[in-house]
Amino acid sequence: MGICWCKQKNEESDTYIPPQSPNSLQVHNIIQPVSPVSTQYSFRLSKIPDASYVDKLVLETLGVIATLVDNEQEPPSSMLLLHNIADNEEGWIQVVNSMIHVIPMQDPLGPSVITLLLDDCPLPSKESVFKVVNMLDLSEKAAILGRSNPPIQRNICVVLGCIAEKLAGPRNMEILNDGIIDYLLTNLDPVTDPSVILFSLIALEKFAQTSSNKITIMKKIKNLPICPISLLESWKEEQHFVQRQVGFCAQWILDNLFVMEARQYTYQTINTEKINAMLNTSDVSEYLKISPDGLEARCDAYSFESVRCTAQADKGIWYYEVCIITPGVMQIGWATKNSNFLNHEGYGIGDDRYSLAYDGCRKLIWYNAKSDPQSLPRWQSGDILGCLLDLDNQQIIFSVNGVSLPPCIHVFTMAKSGFFAAASFMSFQQCRFNFGAEPFEHPPKVAYSTFNDHGSLTPEDKIVLPRHIFLNQLREQNIGEDSCTLCYDQKATIRLLPCEHSGFCESCANQLIECPMCRSPFREIEEYPPPS
Amino acid sequence: MAALPRRIIKETQRLMQEPVPGISAVPDDSNARYFHVIVTGPEDSPFEGGLFKLELFLPEDYPMSAPKVRFITKIYHPNIDRLGRICLDILKDKWSPALQIRTVLLSIQALLSAPNPDDPLANDVAELWKVNESEAIRNAKEWTRRYAMDN
Repeated sequence: MGICWCKQKNEESDTYIPPQSPNSLQVHNIIQPVSPVSTQYSFRLSKIPDASYVDKLVLETLGVIATLVDNEQEPPSSMLLLHNIADNEEGWIQVVNSMIHVIPMQDPLGPSVITLLLDDCPLPSKESVFKVVNMLDLSEKAAILGRSNPPIQRNICVVLGCIAEKLAGPRNMEILNDGIIDYLLTNLDPVTDPSVILFSLIALEKFAQTSSNKITIMKKIKNLPICPISLLESWKEEQHFVQRQVGFCAQWILDNLFVMEARQYTYQTINTEKINAMLNTSDVSEYLKISPDGLEARCDAYSFESVRCTAQADKGIWYYEVCIITPGVMQIGWATKNSNFLNHEGYGIGDDRYSLAYDGCRKLIWYNAKSDPQSLPRWQSGDILGCLLDLDNQQIIFSVNGVSLPPCIHVFTMAKSGFFAAASFMSFQQCRFNFGAEPFEHPPKVAYSTFNDHGSLTPEDKIVLPRHIFLNQLREQNIGEDSCTLCYDQKATIRLLPCEHSGFCESCANQLIECPMCRSPFREIEEYPPPS
Repeated sequence: MAALPRRIIKETQRLMQEPVPGISAVPDDSNARYFHVIVTGPEDSPFEGGLFKLELFLPEDYPMSAPKVRFITKIYHPNIDRLGRICLDILKDKWSPALQIRTVLLSIQALLSAPNPDDPLANDVAELWKVNESEAIRNAKEWTRRYAMDN
């Protein structure tokens, strides 16, 4: 399960806005200034909180975040306190400042915590954002000077990405000044720490979601002697796992966002001859990035993104491996088509009765959104997760670097066939799948099948189209006027009685309680021939 | 990218071909279920002259459940709270799958013309709207000028 508090308590409401913080009175009782000051000033102090106190809360939140496994669980008190502090301008700025300065580089959940905290904080005013941007005072020079302190630069880039995402639209344009673009582009110099490069790329991507920003950034790039993003694309083959992420993101941005005239799309040049099973580009939640060979996936959104593979297992023993590229929260395993991707609610693989997954960051096996702790060490970049599905004996066995976990059997009460390799990703997580096109690192001792041996894909199926091309193709689809007026997927053949409203298909009609046109309850449905 | 239901494709095509006067709804470049919306304040309302930005998201089971819509531009209105959430029956229990993005946005525009302080979401605003309507309308005009107009 992804970490998400926005659904609790507000389930009934029509929006997906974080819940109100507990009332301020209660919080005034909790916030105690760290320094000894007489109580008459405590009101003012709680408005402009002590920096070291906020630092401490940020680190506390980072420390407990991995232990949160339940969406119904209360957020940690440190997080609630931070939300309250961030409810006014100075407080928000202090929270941002603390995150930039204290979140360490090596914690795999660091960037996720920044996005989680900012995402659940009250919307900042435009003025607060401008103050933060002015305070950071970003420029080419700041980027060069910052090379001596990569953690702070990395955190600044994560914060910039959040600001870009939160303030999408016209205000986003006002914020993206020349200084920020110069700072981010200068950070792309290969001498910079790869983590700083990575999050600079992601921040550029998020700013470029506003089309006028995209044009501004493109102009700047074209004025440079060489495109810095093109240089980084070759890093996708690197052994260094952060550099490899940089390469993945650079390629994705060039294919999807900053499309350069002279460059061919990767899908036009890549050789996928040996590949017979991939991640399914028609069976994935909206924001997951899939590599042009269909075997690597990455999430840079704030939702819990999921995907299934193209091939299906119905009987016998099946095996695939996953190379862990980022050591954060991913839930990787097996799912049937009945498993739903509720990315915005934080539910993914292992969070319903039709899927089962292992998360080696929190060391938990997930089934039906319940977790079962495992005794292996936390996974690291480069670890190999083995996923074995034994349909004859109805068990799933995960292994990390060849060391097996105890067999899992729960999922087989709901399904005995129709399984797909599947995975869910928290923000900034990435891994690479091997369905058997390459030799396995830790093949099982028993006889097994692979999706690559048994799967088949047409050359068209193997194309991972850039998103904008894919969406344009979809939008040009011709949809017949005799379609069901609710789903447009099937022909309209059903009339409701007694009101006689028609234009529905059977599967939609079966989901209705009242007539969608007149709201009157209907007694029965009547079939009529589709207009020829 | 998940396979997109044809219903969403159809509605998107229609929104592009026959746009609704006073309303712009543009699908996000990378997410076909997310729309960037701008509604112009209706004439003869305190919101006249304002451009109000909203976000609209089509959930997994759309059209069997309603779109999720909220204001991103601050607005002084008894049925819209400070987080931009909208109190409108068709977005809740009165949703019907025969309604569309287009009809939802028209209803929201109509709500701007006809605030309903008896079914409030923003209690302080509704209260003022009931006891001193002219002052409430002055506030609404001031907020429109301050937050929904260029400069």
